[in-house]
Amino acid sequence: MTVNMERLRALLLRVEKPSRYTGGEFGAPDLKESAFNFCICFPDLYEVGMSNLGIKIVAQSLLNRGHCADYCFTPYKDFGAGLKEAGVPLYSLGLKKPLNEFDMLGFSMQFELSYTNMLYMLDLAGIPLTREARKGGNWPVIAVGGPCAVNPEPLADFVDIVFVGDGESVDADVADVYLKHGGATKEFYEEISRLDGVYVPALEHKVKKAIIADLDGAVFPDGFAVPNCESVHDRAVIEVMRGCYRGCRFCQAGFIYRPVRQRSVKTLTGQACSLIANTGYDEVSLNSLSTGDYPDLRGLLKSLKENLPENVTLALPSLRVDSFAGEFAQNARRISLTFAPEAGSQRLRDVINKDITEDEILKAAESAFDTGYSSVKLYFMLGLPTETDEDVEGIGRICALIKGCYKRKKRQKPLRISVSCSTFIPKPFTPFQWEAQVDETEIVRRQQLLVKSPHMKGVILSWSDDFTAKLEAVLARGDRRLGKVLLYAYENGCIFDGWSRELNKEGWLSAFERAGISADEYTRARDENEVLPWDFIDIGVSKKFFLEERRKAYAGEVTGSCLASCKGCGMQKVCPAAGGVK
Amino acid sequence: MIAFRYTKTDGAEYLSHLDLMRHIDRTMRRAGIKTAFTEGFSPHPKIYMNNPLGLGIRSVAEYCSVESAFDGDFKTLFNAHSPRGIKCLGFIVTEENPNYAYTIESCTYTVEGLDFDARDLLDRDELVITDKRGRTADIRRRIYGLEHEDGKLRFTLGCGQNNLRPDLFCEIIESMYGGKAENLLKIAAHGKFTF
Repeated sequence: MTVNMERLRALLLRVEKPSRYTGGEFGAPDLKESAFNFCICFPDLYEVGMSNLGIKIVAQSLLNRGHCADYCFTPYKDFGAGLKEAGVPLYSLGLKKPLNEFDMLGFSMQFELSYTNMLYMLDLAGIPLTREARKGGNWPVIAVGGPCAVNPEPLADFVDIVFVGDGESVDADVADVYLKHGGATKEFYEEISRLDGVYVPALEHKVKKAIIADLDGAVFPDGFAVPNCESVHDRAVIEVMRGCYRGCRFCQAGFIYRPVRQRSVKTLTGQACSLIANTGYDEVSLNSLSTGDYPDLRGLLKSLKENLPENVTLALPSLRVDSFAGEFAQNARRISLTFAPEAGSQRLRDVINKDITEDEILKAAESAFDTGYSSVKLYFMLGLPTETDEDVEGIGRICALIKGCYKRKKRQKPLRISVSCSTFIPKPFTPFQWEAQVDETEIVRRQQLLVKSPHMKGVILSWSDDFTAKLEAVLARGDRRLGKVLLYAYENGCIFDGWSRELNKEGWLSAFERAGISADEYTRARDENEVLPWDFIDIGVSKKFFLEERRKAYAGEVTGSCLASCKGCGMQKVCPAAGGVK
Repeated sequence: MIAFRYTKTDGAEYLSHLDLMRHIDRTMRRAGIKTAFTEGFSPHPKIYMNNPLGLGIRSVAEYCSVESAFDGDFKTLFNAHSPRGIKCLGFIVTEENPNYAYTIESCTYTVEGLDFDARDLLDRDELVITDKRGRTADIRRRIYGLEHEDGKLRFTLGCGQNNLRPDLFCEIIESMYGGKAENLLKIAAHGKFTF
């Protein structure tokens, strides 16, 4: 069955941005049903999900093997309510097929605060939320992947399969096994549970992260579906590297995407050119966790400049600015420079292994001001382990120094500094996975310390909501018992929890209470001997390494980049930088 | 300068004006049809659209002009690279910029489900409506023509200076005579440069 869009016309005319729900994007593959029909579900709005590269890669890998890979995004409340009212189930954008008619739904979990949106999508599709309730029925297999899958326990009650690690081939492998067994049989689950990168919560087994050895030869789409309405990152994206050499101790991505793998200048140039030709975008973003560490960045930029049509600009996120990048930035019409010192003092930056000095920040700001920038964005975290008031005040100090530097340039245009202070969230698979999250009252006090600092005068300051940060921390290090809380929170109407204007704090508090679970139990410090809910997943980096890094953090010792020398994180055998792969 | 007439149907009627503009720009880029750019800090392509069509209204008479030296088969090339529902129906090459947002004076639409005595409306000297903000306006002089044809209502409304939104017009008719407007379609635009 397909949903008749004509029947939805009155609804579409009533809601905000109806083109979120109509599909038919230019460049979207012409889908046909196949023996295995997969729908990628993104637990956020169309314009957020359409910017995600991971789901495009997963879809391409399935399409390459002859499977059907469709898309669906979380409808905003207006459309969701309208569907319910009209008795129309949530449908995929390509085939307009109700989600419950697919063989498998794959949810891409990018962050913890989108968990309830997954439940919302299942609910709108008329699919029972829990595995228990689906038992024996003819429902799609519910799978999750993405960074949150490294601790899938809070979702364990709801999902049948968890994909851990790189999604380039394992998703399609599972599809093949499904077809071999003629559906989601007991044998199917047993067989896939033996694959690297597949966790079947019902079987409670150990699992090893899936790793693709050759990123250069890995699946990559040569065109994107161009979103109907403007997406949050509406541009072509190439993935320069996966993983990060730096090992900042708070950063989950820096550990779970190890080892660092790169694509060659030739491959990247080819991918950028075909994306631009096929999408009509005028901007290419060079994505990775630290694009500045790409060994031949100069060569890559040169090759892209030479081969891309003129009028196509390059976007370099999270770049460490040195002289040549400054010179490059000049013709890339960037107006704002972004730094992420993360902590206000050198002492605390050493604790978190953030290898950047005040001097470097100021030098980079100075060269940026010289090339015409007049706007600086700074990212910090509050509540990092060992943080004192002095460290918090250090944030103001950096701002004052930058202001002084700009003043000396005697520029006409006023300087614009924006500072964003998010609350530190201890995440699984980091050296800080045992740390307590600083409680809400204390975080608010530190935020106020900053707000009242004389150095912050004229600085645009933003910070994270204390309850949102706590909720994220609870879910990030959660266990299976939190399934109840999620379910109750959803029943209380909690969705789009990551949006400040949608956050329903009362709904969450009453869900915790009803489940008889204290949130504080999850934000507390963990004992090093404690069995952690995510211990059964082998991410590749050893626990011994995390413990050693934690010890060094407290000693204020910097580990530094893997490029300087191998730090022995446990991935030496598969890490190109460590010489583990030829 | 290339001026072309195109559709906004098959789902494209749900695109906002700004998004539509982006899609036309990207279609040109994909098709390799080079457009001229504005000067300055953030150059943007010289694409000139007609006035925005209300969200959800279908049309086979949208007009757009682009500054380009391209002299090939614009229609075929454009349609090979345009999104579903945004299809070129015809084009002209012109020296003068038709600037449709300023030169289109009226548009003709058809709609189903509004069955009433057209004479009754046309015979009125004035038709005063009150908008949501409480302002009143006489819209009679913005209604240029009205007739029933093959079970549809075909009507022409002012555009630009004398503008009247077709969906608003349908609502007014519904409130006066009853009925339920369906399948509103813009079928023609009238101005010095339309074709």
